[in-house]
Amino acid sequence: MRDLGPILRAMLRNKTGAILIAIQIAVTMTIIVNAVFIIQQRNELMARESGLDEANSFYLTSVGFADDYNPQNTTQEDLLALRALPGVVDAIQTNAVPMSGSGWSMGLQTQPGEEFDGTGVAVYMVDEHGLNTLDVELIAGRNFNQQEIRWREPAARTWPDVIIITRDMAEALFPESAIEEVVGKTVYINDDQPINIIGIIDKLQAPWVGWGSVERAMLSPEQTLFNSANYLIRTKPGQRNSLMPQIEEMLANSNKGRIIRDLTTIEDTRERSYRRHSAMIKILLIVVLTLTLVTAAGIVGLSSFTVNKRRKQIGTRRALGATKGDILRYFMLENLLISSMGIALGLALTLGLNMVLVNNFEMQRLDWYYLPFGMAVLWLLGQLAVLGPASRAAAIPPAVATRSV
Amino acid sequence: MLKMQHISKVFRTDLVATHALRDFCLEVAEGEFISVTGPSGSGKTTFLNIAGLLETFDQGQYFLDDEDISHLSDNARSRLRNEKIGFIFQSFNLIPDLNLFDNVDVPLRYRKMPASERKQRIETSLETVCLASRSKHLPSQLSGGQQQRVAIARALAGQPRFLLADEPTGNLDSAMAASVLDLLKEINAAGTTIIMVTHDPVLAEQTDRQIYVRDGQISNIASTGQLAEARLVSGA
Ligand SMILES: Nc1ncnc2c1ncn2[C@@H]1O[C@H](COP(=O)(O)OP(=O)(O)OP(=O)(O)O)[C@@H](O)[C@H]1O
Ligand SMILES: [Mg+2]
Repeated sequence: MRDLGPILRAMLRNKTGAILIAIQIAVTMTIIVNAVFIIQQRNELMARESGLDEANSFYLTSVGFADDYNPQNTTQEDLLALRALPGVVDAIQTNAVPMSGSGWSMGLQTQPGEEFDGTGVAVYMVDEHGLNTLDVELIAGRNFNQQEIRWREPAARTWPDVIIITRDMAEALFPESAIEEVVGKTVYINDDQPINIIGIIDKLQAPWVGWGSVERAMLSPEQTLFNSANYLIRTKPGQRNSLMPQIEEMLANSNKGRIIRDLTTIEDTRERSYRRHSAMIKILLIVVLTLTLVTAAGIVGLSSFTVNKRRKQIGTRRALGATKGDILRYFMLENLLISSMGIALGLALTLGLNMVLVNNFEMQRLDWYYLPFGMAVLWLLGQLAVLGPASRAAAIPPAVATRSV
Repeated sequence: MLKMQHISKVFRTDLVATHALRDFCLEVAEGEFISVTGPSGSGKTTFLNIAGLLETFDQGQYFLDDEDISHLSDNARSRLRNEKIGFIFQSFNLIPDLNLFDNVDVPLRYRKMPASERKQRIETSLETVCLASRSKHLPSQLSGGQQQRVAIARALAGQPRFLLADEPTGNLDSAMAASVLDLLKEINAAGTTIIMVTHDPVLAEQTDRQIYVRDGQISNIASTGQLAEARLVSGA
């Protein structure tokens, strides 16, 4: 550190290069830190579990078109056949599938009356096989029994008497109560229709991955009587791919009054619904990588240039008693100073850009630890980039002091 | 204090091998002021570089204060240069981005010397060369003679026992050259051993002993002082 004063004073006489590199470091830090933060957040979003047995589940749509098509009989026959099939763990008819992007939502409120606001919740209409097929765990209360399952007419406005909700929904409705105490409580749907909560499940995501309350879902004990119905099928591990065509063929053949379409695995559904996120991550990674390389190249370039320009000076310093280590340290220290100026500016710019993103793009505020992380990365980047030119400087022989003009 | 025995130095490039020094022998006693003259390319700078530990040699032996320096590490040679040897270059070799004070400070910073002592030494040596009042100036703001005096101050600040000067007046007019030589004489009178390469016979004549180098060897001896005598062993 003893060289700090003269290094700084010498640098101030050759500001331009140092300032350009410092600005480059500041901009790089700003973009890298914010990009990594966004990447990290997207990764966290994408890492969320839907609750399903994702690797072994798929769904399809059965669309009846025949004049004599009977949704109720078809559903009953289909589910019997599906559940009897070797390799199938369980199957349900459901109105919606997690992560698929389309589904129903309703509001539940703890007090009846129009004047009270409901808490939004995604609705999954399932029968007593719902828990098993969705691979969700009951953490309090009980499952539906067969008698509770009703058939829902397309025009129905009423709701069953009982529901099962997710833990997250339970906490949203009754923040003061323990999970077990929520079982048995009454909530209201459509302002004043009472429903009894009979069970709580650990986790089940709503169909919309971009929804802020994606963990709030309820199971409603009913089966739809629409001409179009979705079946969600959970298979034994490793059997999904072979069962998909088999099931498609079986259903198509069992009832000629409908068609089977849109066979989709949950894995594909996840991939599709997070596609924009993964594309964003890829782009940001490329930006981060490119910027890092460009900045490193800039540092290598500037320091190589100054090393060449100072060959004679370096030889003279060696002649006057500087060791190779002294010369190496000089350039490392000089880089540390430039980097530090850039990083100081970068801190301000980083927070500024984050603020702009928070205000205009619904981003979250940067976690504080991203700043020391960014500082460390840029310091390290600078030191690594300058290592080559600095070693070349250290290798300049002292005789250069007398030999070159 | 300096003893070279049968030193040879060969510069090899792809095609040619230049024998810059061959069988070069010289002894220098403490307190001498020696001038080295000779045609261009004869090996004067090479000799000075080896004497000043800036370059290694291929054969022979070199003792500095009775220490065999042929096996010293690069770091040890740096330390020895820093402690015992002062350099004065033809083109001054001041660091253009540092003011005079910081320039004189350069060799001192490579020693672990407290700041107060450094400051005192810098001021004293700038006073010796009559430039104390310009210590905040940059080299580019000085004349050539003044710059060379700063370089001398830089060499003096380390209080070396041994001063090596390669054509210190080569870039100066005769009046300035004379004043630089006077300064060197004063320094020598105060006890510092000096070896000076010069092309100027007038200056060379004013030193204790003159060495003439030709084809990498000392070819004849001309002395004006009493110290010359038989200390010098000419190459066979
Ligand atoms: N790095 C080098 N590579 C190859 N040859 C070199 C190198 N340095 C010096 N030489 C050669 O060694 C010989 C002696 O050079 P040196 O610089 O010692 O001469 P000099 O007496 O100082 O000359 P001048 O009076 O011109 O300064 C010359 O022939 C020179 O070309
Ligand atoms: Mg020369």
